[in-house]
Amino acid sequence: MVREWAGWIADTRLSHVFQEISWVIPVSQSMHIVCVAIVFASASMLGTRLLGFGASGRTVSQLVGSLIPWMYGALAVLLLTGLVQTIAEPLRQFVTPEFWWKMLMVICELLLTVWFARAVRRDPGRWDAAPTRPKGARLFAVVFVGLWVAIVVCGRLIGYTWSYYAWIFRFPAVHG
Amino acid sequence: MIPPMGDFLNSLEQTTLASMVRGDTGLEWLFPQVEIVHVLALALVFGSILMVDLRLLGLNSRTSAVSRLSAEVLPWTWGAFAVAALSGGVLFISKAHTYFYNLPFRLKFLCMALAGINMLCFHFGDYRKVARWDLRSPPPVGARIAGLLSVLLWVGVIFCGRWIGFTT
Repeated sequence: MVREWAGWIADTRLSHVFQEISWVIPVSQSMHIVCVAIVFASASMLGTRLLGFGASGRTVSQLVGSLIPWMYGALAVLLLTGLVQTIAEPLRQFVTPEFWWKMLMVICELLLTVWFARAVRRDPGRWDAAPTRPKGARLFAVVFVGLWVAIVVCGRLIGYTWSYYAWIFRFPAVHG
Repeated sequence: MIPPMGDFLNSLEQTTLASMVRGDTGLEWLFPQVEIVHVLALALVFGSILMVDLRLLGLNSRTSAVSRLSAEVLPWTWGAFAVAALSGGVLFISKAHTYFYNLPFRLKFLCMALAGINMLCFHFGDYRKVARWDLRSPPPVGARIAGLLSVLLWVGVIFCGRWIGFTT
C-alpha cells in the first residue's frame, strides 16, 4: 500500500518539479538543518534549565517567553521543508522505518511543546520557583530533550538506511 | 620547508582511525555515527550563536542584558564547537583528499573564518563598551551589523556543509 501511495505522490506534477530542479532538495535540507538547530538548541536550554543547571540568569517563564515563539516558527518551517522532501522523494521516506519512528516522535514532541508552553504561561510562578515546580518537571525535561535527540538521529539515518530498505523490499530507486 | 600537501593528506588517510571511519575494518556504521554526533553538535553551535545574534539584532530576549545572555550561552557554544570540530576532524581524515579539494568544503571554512573575524571585531569593538548599552534593544549599529553578519555567515556554513554531502 505504501508503495502505491509513494508512486502516486512521485507521479504528481509537483513532485516532478521538485525532482527536476536540482537545488530544491539541497536547499530544503539546509533550511531543515537551520531550523533543527533552533529547535534543538532551544529545547536543550529549556531542558537543562528545568534540570537545575544552565541559563541560571533567567527564569523558566522568561526562557519560555523568548524561546517558544522561535521554536514554533522553526517547527513550521521544518514541517514545510520536510513535506517538500517527502513530495520530491516519497519512496525514500516511506520504505524507511526510521521515517515513521521520526514522525511518531515528532507528533509527541509537538504535543509536549504546546502543553509545556501553555502550562508555563498559565501559571509562571509555579514553574519559576524550584520548590513549587511540578514533580514531573525533571522527567519532562529528560523526555523532551531525549526525544529531540532521537528525532535528529532518525532523520540523519534515513539518508543512510533508505537504499538498504528499498533493496530489501525490491523497490525501484526513484532516482540517485 | 613545508612538506607537500598531498603527503600530509595521505598520512592523515593512512591513520588507523581514518581507515576505521572509512569502514575498511568492517565498521560500516562508524561514519554515520560520527556524522550524527557532528549534526547534534553543530545544531547546538548554531542555535546558541543565533540566540545571542537575535538579541544583538533586537529581535529576541529584549529584556535580558547582552553580557548576561552571552555569559549564559557561550559555554554551550564553545562546548558544542569542540565536539563539532573533533567529530568533523574525524570525518575529514577518512577522506582527506576528497574534502580538501572540494569547493563547498573550502567555502564552508571560508564562512567560518569570516565568522571568526566578525566575532573578534565585535569583541574588541562595541562589546568593550557593553556596559553602556547592555540593556538597550536594539543595541548600537555596530553590534547589530555584527549580529546580522554572524547569522548570515553561520547559515552559509550550514548550507555549504550540507552541499558537501551532495558533491563528495
